[in-house]
Amino acid sequence: SQGCVDHPIVLTEAVCNPLYSRQMMSELLFECYQVPKVSYGVDSLYSFYHNRRQSWPCSGLVISSGYQCTHILPVLEGRLDAKNCKRINLGGCQAAVYLQRLLQLKYPGHFAAITLSRMEEILHEHSYIAEDYIEELQKWRSPEYYENNMHKMQLPFSNKLLGSTLTSEEKQERRQQQLRRLQELNARRREEKLQLDQERLDRLLYIQELLEDGQMDQFHKALVELNMDSAEELQSYINKLSLSVEQTKQKILQAEVNIEVDVVDSKPETPDLDPLGSEQSLEDVESINEFEPLFAEDQPEVEKPVAAVQPVFNLAEYHQLFLGTERIRAPEIVFQPSLIGEDQAGIAETMQYVLERYPKEQQAVLVQNVFLTGGNMTYPGLKARVQKELLEMRPFQSSFQVHLASSPVLDAWYGARDWAVEYMTREEGWITRKDYEEKGGEYLKEHCASNVYVPIRLPKQAPRTAEALAPGRALTSGTGNPCEQA
Amino acid sequence: QSAGGEAMNESKFLNTDSSAGSVETTVKPLPFKDPNFIHSGIGGAAAGKKNRTWKNLKQILASERALPWQLNDPSYFNIDAPPSFKPAKKYSDISGLPANYTDPQSKLRFSTIEEFAYIRMLPSDVVTGYLALRKATSIVS
Repeated sequence: SQGCVDHPIVLTEAVCNPLYSRQMMSELLFECYQVPKVSYGVDSLYSFYHNRRQSWPCSGLVISSGYQCTHILPVLEGRLDAKNCKRINLGGCQAAVYLQRLLQLKYPGHFAAITLSRMEEILHEHSYIAEDYIEELQKWRSPEYYENNMHKMQLPFSNKLLGSTLTSEEKQERRQQQLRRLQELNARRREEKLQLDQERLDRLLYIQELLEDGQMDQFHKALVELNMDSAEELQSYINKLSLSVEQTKQKILQAEVNIEVDVVDSKPETPDLDPLGSEQSLEDVESINEFEPLFAEDQPEVEKPVAAVQPVFNLAEYHQLFLGTERIRAPEIVFQPSLIGEDQAGIAETMQYVLERYPKEQQAVLVQNVFLTGGNMTYPGLKARVQKELLEMRPFQSSFQVHLASSPVLDAWYGARDWAVEYMTREEGWITRKDYEEKGGEYLKEHCASNVYVPIRLPKQAPRTAEALAPGRALTSGTGNPCEQA
Repeated sequence: QSAGGEAMNESKFLNTDSSAGSVETTVKPLPFKDPNFIHSGIGGAAAGKKNRTWKNLKQILASERALPWQLNDPSYFNIDAPPSFKPAKKYSDISGLPANYTDPQSKLRFSTIEEFAYIRMLPSDVVTGYLALRKATSIVS
């Protein structure tokens, strides 16, 4: 294609996408890529469209949870009821970060090895959502349940065992030791340099004496050996060398004074400076190793004895992460955001809030078709949990139905494909280039899977060469009263 | 036409390089793009070709709020979920079990005696880490 993209494009956007973002996107597509027509839609609605069972248009409550956020979207007669939808700003990303921090705090020695990608692996493969969170936690209290259901993750071997388990005081001690070693090295080097310079100086002085004594031949020969031309040069060289010898002597004296001062200062701070420092850190590691199974299992008896110095401990176990309750804690944040400190309500409460904005008949209709989609909804046990929450919040003996998307991760794409195939030749739902030019970049044509268009014109961004900004903001006749503008 | 195959290997940072493809001699023009495109999202009158200011989410939302919305119009910031009405349940910071007790010294929650002993032995950075996880770090102590 010469300078353009020839085919129409179907693109997903956020729910209630800001007009500015849509304007930027349209500008890019139409002006830079010369796309003939574009359609914007919401990914969870495309997924809903793909999974429709009865005749379209149908109604339902779409709950979609992705990587960044979770949406609760009521759909009435095939169209999104945008003023009643809600968004919780928690998704798979926040769950992974939470799990990472939990494990990093539990295993501070493996700080660097606990990466986000390993966390996502744990979430995808080893986590589940408990149907009743409190009850599930009670089950985890018993040590047998813990032993049976704890998952161990083996980290790759790393050699920095001891360095990472030192406390901050011990780290300081290490640093001071290294500093002292450096100082000693420098002092030794200075002394050697001093010696060499001194010898050279002596030799030059001897040659100068030759000159004074009057032995010109030998003097000249020596000068040639040294690659020098005249007596003045010799003299200046001698001066420079004696100066540097003086300076080196000064530095050595200063350094000696400093070392003495350091040694005197550090003595009262670190009384335990001894070669057993390394074994002490091993002891720390032992005790940390011992406490972890204790607190995770909640056992009263001690498993391993608190050692006297034992240089050998289980290397394999040191590099393992034990996942107990973390398996259910991390995905739970989307139901209880208070675990992470967010003050938004969880999925269950937000569902209730959304449902209560409707009259009772519509609530019943919506609840008959609760649809779960999105990658963050793939935890085992999630459907049961949503059913239980609905059971708690709906009136006694009313019915509801929860469906999960056939493939929660990919259904948005399949839905968009279905829609595009069906509507390819039709006019509705597509924004053509002519529409873009007339009505601006933020224009949106509504269709069954799109956002609601609010007709507010944005000023077109002034191109680089133009001086003046577009005057004022044009309102279409739909929106009435002019508001104060910032 | 040599531009076809090798241009596919270009980097994806199209916007900054797309304009005036003839000037940037190191960038090959991509075949599916209009070579004369200049993006209009340039901030500041004095900003040159390179100083495109893209707005981040906060700026976008701030400028969106200033638009003339009606009361019931949905917009990106209108559909944030409301804060929870139910009081938060307390869970132990260490093990996640329901916690009935709080350590007065470090403000961490725990559920068993062994957890309490463990908490008392923790270095201070781990303690602040747990509190920060719950967003319970207090500036006023």
